[in-house]
Amino acid sequence: MSALARSVRSVFSFYLFIVRRARRTKIFALVSFLPALAALVIRVNAWLSPGAAVDGPAVFSNIILTFNLQFLILVLALFYGTSILAEELEGKTLTYLTTRAVPKAAIILGKYAAYVSFLIVMVAAGVTLAFVILFADRLGDAQAWLVLARSAAVLALGLLTYTAFFTLAGVLLKKSILFGLMFSFGWENIVPYFPGATQRFAIMHYLKSLLPPISTGGEGNFAFLMFKLEPSTPAAAIVTLAVVTAAALGLACWAFARKEYLFEE
Amino acid sequence: MTAVIRADKLSKWYGNVLGLSDVSLEIGPGITGLLGPNGAGKSTFMKLVTGQLKPSLGRVEIFGRPIWNATGLFARIGFCPEQDAFYDELTGGEFVTRLLGLQGFSRTEAMARAEKALRFVELFAEKDRLLRGYSRGMRQRLKIAQTIAHDPEILILDEPLNGLDPLSKRKIIRLIRDLRDAGRTIIVSSHVLPEIEALTRSIVLLHQGKILAQGDIPYIRDLIDKHPHKISVKCADPRALASGLLEQPSVRAIQFGPEAETVVFETQDRDAFFGLLTRLIVENGQDIEEITSPDDNLQAVFDYLVGT
Amino acid sequence: MPIAEQGYTHWTGHFVDRRLPWWPISRLGIKMAFKRKFFKFAFALSFLPALIFAVGIYISERLEDFQFMFKGRKGSMSFLEVNPLYFKSYFGGDFLLFMMVMMMVLGGAGLIADDLRSNSLQLYFSRPIRKGDYLLGKLATAGFFLLLFTLLPGLLFILLKIIFAGSFKLLTAYPWILPAVVLDSLLVSVFFAAYTLLVSSLSKNRRYAAILIFLIYFFSDIFFSIFYGIFHNPYFCLLSIKADLQQVTAALFRVKPAFEVPWIYSLLVLAGLVLACGVVLVRKTRGVEVIK
Repeated sequence: MSALARSVRSVFSFYLFIVRRARRTKIFALVSFLPALAALVIRVNAWLSPGAAVDGPAVFSNIILTFNLQFLILVLALFYGTSILAEELEGKTLTYLTTRAVPKAAIILGKYAAYVSFLIVMVAAGVTLAFVILFADRLGDAQAWLVLARSAAVLALGLLTYTAFFTLAGVLLKKSILFGLMFSFGWENIVPYFPGATQRFAIMHYLKSLLPPISTGGEGNFAFLMFKLEPSTPAAAIVTLAVVTAAALGLACWAFARKEYLFEE
Repeated sequence: MTAVIRADKLSKWYGNVLGLSDVSLEIGPGITGLLGPNGAGKSTFMKLVTGQLKPSLGRVEIFGRPIWNATGLFARIGFCPEQDAFYDELTGGEFVTRLLGLQGFSRTEAMARAEKALRFVELFAEKDRLLRGYSRGMRQRLKIAQTIAHDPEILILDEPLNGLDPLSKRKIIRLIRDLRDAGRTIIVSSHVLPEIEALTRSIVLLHQGKILAQGDIPYIRDLIDKHPHKISVKCADPRALASGLLEQPSVRAIQFGPEAETVVFETQDRDAFFGLLTRLIVENGQDIEEITSPDDNLQAVFDYLVGT
Repeated sequence: MPIAEQGYTHWTGHFVDRRLPWWPISRLGIKMAFKRKFFKFAFALSFLPALIFAVGIYISERLEDFQFMFKGRKGSMSFLEVNPLYFKSYFGGDFLLFMMVMMMVLGGAGLIADDLRSNSLQLYFSRPIRKGDYLLGKLATAGFFLLLFTLLPGLLFILLKIIFAGSFKLLTAYPWILPAVVLDSLLVSVFFAAYTLLVSSLSKNRRYAAILIFLIYFFSDIFFSIFYGIFHNPYFCLLSIKADLQQVTAALFRVKPAFEVPWIYSLLVLAGLVLACGVVLVRKTRGVEVIK
């Protein structure tokens, strides 16, 4: 194992330990399970009122996935991505990292890996729970599990890409949260509905292009997510997301190694 | 002296603000005190030496290698930052162990080293307490524990005695001396002169980003010989003593102290004055109770040099 | 006499408290907010709806000059009629509420979080400042900005209408419009200020507080949309902070609320939230942190 990989691993285990302890983790975990709670309310209502049937796949695709993809992962990636550097500066703990025999790139990559893997587990757990509740009557259907696997994979890719992007924003900008909010809920939630090639300038476009087909009894699959979508091919989408992630992380490491950071008094 | 740390025409600007200007010095094993008022450039120097900042001009080398982005060198350096900052989610033991883990030590070795360091700073009994419950003195000692845990050759301690009660100060001073005795190269910064005086006689005086003086205290005293020295003599008949020295060229001024039996002489030639004083005491059979030099401490040196 | 023998002397005079101890805290908060570059930008942007509505009032009195803009669009000028609906559209507008949230994200998130981070609470409470003064000072800081976007434009709209119309027709036709403007401004401002302070007091981290302010507001609305979309039950609007504010605003301006739910329920939800904020804030703001 190379020295960089060893350092990345040690930073990873350091921050995985810290993130599990942090109080805010509990709040975000709670938020990640809210869609499952919503699914439970819908399901319980269907059981209590025999007339109100639940179209599980439709609710899963139109509500749970939309919420996770267009809101939750953006908020989580924004907070944790920008935290990678900002929390060290705000807490004035960066010194403990930059005066160790750890390459600066390993600090960024290790912390990114720790946060992103934690986020993926948290979001995947929430989505899986919501899926089990909504697909309770179709759990033997292998196709349904494939839908879950693919949806979780899209969310994981989204977390990987957005967290990398916001890591870069955090390294370069002082007001990364404001930039992130404008980017997430301005650009990323508007541009994907533009026609033609314009929508390809949003990360969200490539994530939507990878969503699984779900057959529902209701009207239109992913009615909102798929609206105006002119999908890219899965291969193109995956390559683009991988390039964006790698470029953002590469730039973040490069900038972090060259920039000097001073603590605010 | 073998230079472990070498700064050559080292300068640092923060935009238009001058942090450090044209600093050249060599530091070898033992304790070197970095002195200066707030904003003198002590922390800037320490950040440059620990590779947290990049020099605007000049070079800073550790063991003959530039420190900026020289990751490997950091295994040989321990840095105790000035700020009271920790990962509050951790316990004291976890803090030191996990930071050792970052250095690449295995879990078992990190735990053994952490234990040794925590015992050294007398915090082992408190290792399982969350950091947010630590007192200021404990936190300061914990910072030292993380500084020494990986057994570095160079220790850079930024204001390690800041804000501590006398008992904690004494403990930390003892710890630093023990480390010096173990052969470490140590730089300690402070703006409180008696603290440094308790640690070392080798000092670097910084003021407005520049080196004002460098060396041991007597050497610095020689540098400021152009300034008058005060010598206070407590004796049975101060007036008789004063009259005996009144016309001597080495005496610039004579002042009687607030206590009736004290007289304070001002001289520009200490050696000549002490020669005269000793002769006079012997010749006149003066009964001397005490001879002190009120300005023979670092504060006076510093005041003279910065012109206050 | 040596000091040790004197003991403590109790002052027996009458203390006349004519101060406003919360005011320096508010003044400082307002000053500090304007030192932030992005805050100034958001502050300026938040006046956009007020500007548009003010222009609307001018056009409403010069309809003949602007008829070319609405040629062939029958009834398209009805929205320019300055009536309670016009005020409700401003006060309950999505953009205004969004900008208020953004203002609180940028300028309010650190109000208590920064003090917690720098351990300033004990400095505040070592002065003759009570907990209430501290909270009032912080509340007034947030309230100042919020009232600038509610009360000030509201009063200005009434004044402009009177000036442009050259008559008091608006006030005679709707005599309750002025109290409605004042009440709604106070309600929205007090709610957002209390909500912001609550979230700000939950963490030492300003960024975390900022994200939470944003997250809770939008989550509440998203969950309302989910449940309303599925169950078509208007009572789910009570889950949404935005919908609750809009329901009460509509009621205050005597316009039919968007959902068939008694507006008093929304008011109770908002009042309950403010009360909860107060309870948490009183518990959270302590001069001394006892660590167990």
